[in-house]
Amino acid sequence: MTAEQEEAAIRAAQADPERFGPLYDHYFTTIFRFIHRRTARRELTADLTQQTFLKALLGLARYQPRGLPFRAWLYRIALNELRMYWRKRKETVMDLGWAEAKILADEVGIAQQEEEMRMLSSGLGRLAPDQARLIEIRYFDGLSFAELGAVLGITEDAAKMRTHRALGQLRQYLARTP
Amino acid sequence: MSRRYRISPQGPPPLTDAEIAKHKDARRLIFNYHHATKLLYKRPLYKDPKAFFALLIIVLLAIFIAEVVEKERAPDLPQAPQQPQR
Repeated sequence: MTAEQEEAAIRAAQADPERFGPLYDHYFTTIFRFIHRRTARRELTADLTQQTFLKALLGLARYQPRGLPFRAWLYRIALNELRMYWRKRKETVMDLGWAEAKILADEVGIAQQEEEMRMLSSGLGRLAPDQARLIEIRYFDGLSFAELGAVLGITEDAAKMRTHRALGQLRQYLARTP
Repeated sequence: MSRRYRISPQGPPPLTDAEIAKHKDARRLIFNYHHATKLLYKRPLYKDPKAFFALLIIVLLAIFIAEVVEKERAPDLPQAPQQPQR
């Protein structure tokens, strides 16, 4: 879907919610994977994804295409849904493969080996929740800094700076981990 | 809430697009949307003559009862001592 097609689809859905279908079809898999990475439960993910799109549809009239990119807007709603779910939980576990962690491992300068990956998971767990969220969205979900800023409600520069700080903190933890 | 990360060589079992598509249900989404946006009462109560008069009677009765209770209570209240005039 090109930017023009997306804008036309948004305008059509704003005029008639019954025409939300193309946007729903286009982004469903992306949002489902985003949520599933953080819940690891399919049925729960399906419910949260459905809830995300329902909230998006209910708020679509207020959405302005020139501000926030539509994908980032959906991610923001999904993150809010996840936050509400996390409030009821004592612990969250994020399951990742080495392939998903590769970009982050390269960024912090560690090799893809068992011991290093164990250190990385331990270091990530020690980060402050906000810092961990930045790293997750940037490196595991692969969003740009502009999109990351849009999801978290900060500017692109602020997103870059905070991610840089979070990476610095992570490197410190990795250096200290025996 | 604590956070844990598990980074394993294979990662979690892969989730295919076809498996995700099974959960896609645009019709349910539109149904839920209409359910969430429809008004509880199609016509506001105050615009329905019967409901309007019923509400009016309830309000008048409430005022009448309040007045009666107020009048019955009034003699029991102790009189405030009057200040001597200078």
